[in-house]
Amino acid sequence: MPNNNGSVYGLTILSPIIDDAKATPSHDLQIRNYLAKLSTREDSPFALAPGTHLARLVVMDDVVFVGAPSCEEHLKSKYLIFESNLDGDLDSYLSGLAATIPDHLNAIWKHCVGYPGAANRQAFIDYMKACQLETTFFFAAVNNKSVSETLRALQTQTAVADFIASHQGANPAKLQRDFIQFVAKLKSLPLPKPGSMGPHREIKTGGRNE
Amino acid sequence: MSNINGKVYAMNAITPMKPWKTWILRLIFFVLGHVKPLQKDLIDLSFIEFARWVVVPRSGLPFLDNGQVKEELKYDYLLFFSNFNGTWNQYIDAFSAVLSRGLNLVWRWSEKFPGSVPVTLFKEYIARVQFDTDYYYTAYPHATANDVKSAHIVQASLDKLSQLAEKSDPQQFADAYLRFVLQVQTHLGETSDAPVAG
Repeated sequence: MPNNNGSVYGLTILSPIIDDAKATPSHDLQIRNYLAKLSTREDSPFALAPGTHLARLVVMDDVVFVGAPSCEEHLKSKYLIFESNLDGDLDSYLSGLAATIPDHLNAIWKHCVGYPGAANRQAFIDYMKACQLETTFFFAAVNNKSVSETLRALQTQTAVADFIASHQGANPAKLQRDFIQFVAKLKSLPLPKPGSMGPHREIKTGGRNE
Repeated sequence: MSNINGKVYAMNAITPMKPWKTWILRLIFFVLGHVKPLQKDLIDLSFIEFARWVVVPRSGLPFLDNGQVKEELKYDYLLFFSNFNGTWNQYIDAFSAVLSRGLNLVWRWSEKFPGSVPVTLFKEYIARVQFDTDYYYTAYPHATANDVKSAHIVQASLDKLSQLAEKSDPQQFADAYLRFVLQVQTHLGETSDAPVAG
């Protein structure tokens, strides 16, 4: 199924935005205003709800005219695009969003046509599915790891680099003892928070990437 | 608006296609999806975390009634969403240099597509059909696609070594540890803030 690549699901939703000439500011602008103030770090709604690798929200104002001799045409509605790369099954994911971040969902989607609210879980899922487009081709560089597994692996990667650096030339008995302790400690560490920049580390090479 | 979060860039693009051409494109994507070796160049580019193409038929945009006016479009549309590491220019340059045949195969069915080489006209076209992201989230903003791949290699190697650590003598462990270091040494780059792109 093109929406899936391995255990990752590519969700594409286009929700028509309410077109109301009397609304000030317009509904699309209200969505944009809300999104502009929304955190993208560990307190992001998508960090609080489970299962999102990467996600974006985009107000699509219109289609693009690429120039003559093609025809110029316009949309009758603006659309809110929700593009998410998520773990596992769609129903559980949408259910998780509705359970964890209903206020954010309502604040954003209340400007969309026919949005039923997140309180009625099944109506919310049905609405999102009614707005879903099937992905034609979905590529995932890593398609068999969950968000938690990736955060854990990134934490491990940093810790292993430190362990190797501090144990160069250590004798076998100490190396083995310290390694067993290291692995036990690593397993007991809390999972890094999704959306965080990870532990602050001094970058040893300076300069601008120009 | 933010197309960038940490080390990832969100690109959105939309291009019109004559409806009869979308069937050819669907067939191309079907083959690409089922013949994995054809994805080799895409995988080798290694700075794309996730990407997708969505063909939207001219009558296929969600219609929910409730006062919504039905769309009357002549064209089908190809939506493209990409999550990549690096700058816009680096991405388009690399796409044009490495994947030009693949890109032409996908976008030649779109109106006025100039081809992916020369890159100047290609960039002009992408700039015209791209639209900006209002909100962009990633669970691991400090990591690139390569960091993620490497981290999973390190994790798998560590899991294997830790199984051995409990049941081997110190010398056996030291030998296994050396093999572990050789295995993971090229996968230990640091992840942190993104470099400043000028």
